[in-house]
Amino acid sequence: MTDKIAIHAEGLTKHYGEFPALVDLNLDVRAGEIFGFLGPNGAGKTTTIRTLLDEIRPTSGRASILGMDTHLQSVEIRDHIGYVPGDLAMYPNLTGKDTLTYFANLRGGVDWGFVDSLAERLGADLSKKVGDLSSGNRQKVGLIQAFMSKPDVLIMDEPSSGLDPLVQREFQTMMREVAADGRTVFLSSHTLSEVQRVADRVGIIRHGLLIAVEGVADLRSKAIRTVNLFFDETVDGAELAGLPGVREVKVENHHVTLSFDGQMETLLKVVTQRYSLLDITTHEANLEEIFLTYYEEASA
Amino acid sequence: MLATVVTKTFLDRWKGAAIGAAALAIMFFFGMAVYRDIDLAVYTDLPEALRSLMNIPADADVGALAYGAIYSSYGALTLAALALSMGSASIAGEERNGTMGLLLGNPKSRTYILVSKAANITILSALGALILWVAGIVVPDILNVDVTGIQVGALVFHMFVIAVFHGFLAMAIGAWTGKSSMASGVTAGVMMISFFAVGLLPLVDSLKNGVKAFPWYYYSGANPHINGIDWGHLVVLFVGIGLLAALAVLGVNRRDLRSQTTRVSLVDRLRAYPLTKKIVDRLAGSARVSRIWVKTASENQGILIVVAYVMFLVMGLLIGPMYTFIDEALVRLADAFPEELLAMFGGGDMSTPEGFYQVETFGLMVPIAFMVVTVTIGARALAGEEANRTMGLLLANPIKRSTVVLEKTIAMIVQAAIVAIALFAGVVGGSMLGGLGMSPLNIAAATFLGTLIGLVFGALALALSAGTGRTRVAIYGTIGTALALYVANGFLPFSEGLEGLTKWGPFHYYLSSDPLLNGMNWGHAAVLLGLFVALVAAAVMLFDRRDLRQSG
Repeated sequence: MTDKIAIHAEGLTKHYGEFPALVDLNLDVRAGEIFGFLGPNGAGKTTTIRTLLDEIRPTSGRASILGMDTHLQSVEIRDHIGYVPGDLAMYPNLTGKDTLTYFANLRGGVDWGFVDSLAERLGADLSKKVGDLSSGNRQKVGLIQAFMSKPDVLIMDEPSSGLDPLVQREFQTMMREVAADGRTVFLSSHTLSEVQRVADRVGIIRHGLLIAVEGVADLRSKAIRTVNLFFDETVDGAELAGLPGVREVKVENHHVTLSFDGQMETLLKVVTQRYSLLDITTHEANLEEIFLTYYEEASA
Repeated sequence: MLATVVTKTFLDRWKGAAIGAAALAIMFFFGMAVYRDIDLAVYTDLPEALRSLMNIPADADVGALAYGAIYSSYGALTLAALALSMGSASIAGEERNGTMGLLLGNPKSRTYILVSKAANITILSALGALILWVAGIVVPDILNVDVTGIQVGALVFHMFVIAVFHGFLAMAIGAWTGKSSMASGVTAGVMMISFFAVGLLPLVDSLKNGVKAFPWYYYSGANPHINGIDWGHLVVLFVGIGLLAALAVLGVNRRDLRSQTTRVSLVDRLRAYPLTKKIVDRLAGSARVSRIWVKTASENQGILIVVAYVMFLVMGLLIGPMYTFIDEALVRLADAFPEELLAMFGGGDMSTPEGFYQVETFGLMVPIAFMVVTVTIGARALAGEEANRTMGLLLANPIKRSTVVLEKTIAMIVQAAIVAIALFAGVVGGSMLGGLGMSPLNIAAATFLGTLIGLVFGALALALSAGTGRTRVAIYGTIGTALALYVANGFLPFSEGLEGLTKWGPFHYYLSSDPLLNGMNWGHAAVLLGLFVALVAAAVMLFDRRDLRQSG
């Protein structure tokens, strides 16, 4: 990763009539990083991406990719980007190979050896008509068309939808290779776990507002976890509720459930000093809980 | 409102039935108005074969002619075609769209869905018939035409039954095969063959009884508009409808449902076959996707082929011999028609081959044919890709939006040129076949002006498509504008003060110079070309300015 800026947005705002789909987005994505753009359905992720692609024009504000204005220099920009739209659709009567040839012709040629290697890695069948493919297999063709020109910036809207876990893992490897190459990946998703696995930083958007931009490592430490503690005696819930990072406490006899976003070490120290801990399980809170937390904090 | 399959399908479909029937009612009105004012010998002197096809008796009066020609042939065909399209869409159409599985995910049996669809075919055919029935009674009243003795109710009821029959036939085929194109194709074939057979077989004594093998006979054989309802004939159709319904229930319950698939074309089969794979791959694969315009021009081939074929064969090649065939009756027709009415089609003397071609082919059919092709491609070019959600992907490539508009324009020109070549070859061939000695240069001039008028409206569709991103707005907006301008061009000259206004519409520059007689009018061509270029420029500007639409 370098300090060069790959994607820059400045007060980017888009209204559909009265409805604010995107409000005053300020964002810098560095060259060579994988940036995850996270938000629930209808949060403004696709609006942001379509604005970057000059499919739609901002109501106010501006954005640039690789230093070029997304509207004024959109054609030059598109020479440098690969794009996977959300809810991908292609020409049903063309085969995968025809589809890729079409886009390759429009770009002015690609390395077919590289295309074949991508197809092999993803297990894509390029001889079938796109209309006859399942949605996951269609998605693979869409991914190949985005990766095949070795773009400097990859912009992908929910790219792993429909892919099975094995292919998802391969796809994540491909994204990491792009970043290792000094190129940039901008990826929208509503799945935290996916973004956590691959991204360097994450932006969280809700109701058109960018709520936070965090390093994934920070997010993880911030992330709320659900902690189940099992003791051999009855525990005072009020006492646990006072500990730093504890958000919610539920006590059922010897079993305590905590919503927790503090340091695990601190929690364990306190608990083991006072009680006899039999067992502990912990898992990541789901995305909705995290969104709610951020949302509440943001609106508070 | 979407509580049941019946109401949902009804809401999806009622507009088609209503528009079709209303268009027929309007045609009936104008037809009757014209018949009232002209010498009917034009029709009664037609060769017997044509009269028999059109249901025109030798002693036809205005009423018999209007009901016989318009209602009982066009009307019945239209109503049956509407039912046919509903029938083929009912089961197979839902499979094609991939919605059948969703529908059957609900606790409703296949039979329930089939019966709902069948009910719709019946209800909507009845709606169409009702509109025709009302028009059939009201129009003669307005026009003060005496229609005593014409049994409108009986005619319309027969039409309703034959329509339902064809709807059920299509539904049954769709239910057995799951292929909607096969259902509509086979049914349309049955309908047309039986329509012609019932018209023509009675002329040959030895084959007279053969008509009873064709369903159409049980609709029109008894001349219901004159003789009233023929229950004997209708029972045959009712039994047929019942059998088809039973077959459909059986068919849809016994087979695997199809999932959404693309059509397998001849090209696909050739691509799969080792011997032809290489060459077809090159043509259908890499060549087709080499440029945006090539890909676009390779689409909508079905429409292009049909239009080019009709213009070559029917409106080109056959008109020449036909001219020599009905020469005499035509001179009278030319005398009978008011001059202003003929002027609508570009005027000309119908007794000359040039005038005949002008009225029959170039006056109305040529602009329609070109517009079918150019407006389809213009409307779909931009808005179609947006509706299919492929525009975003296309424009993610380093190409300007204006490039996309211009490439789509090239595709439009290519398709129009193919129609032009077919038309030119057909008319030149027709002139040779009939020994009419028309000037090929003049035919080329008329064809060129026709191409230009088609391109003007294609570019209008393109501009509307570019400005709004909505295919429907582009298509209906263009058709509406073209229709209004065409009619205005025809009717404005009736009023002396307004005559000059026609120069402001494009049809003046297509129709007024009579190129078949006078050769090319370069000034008029320049006006049309200028209009075309201006509209394409407008399309480029409009498309560049707006947000791309995202469906869903």
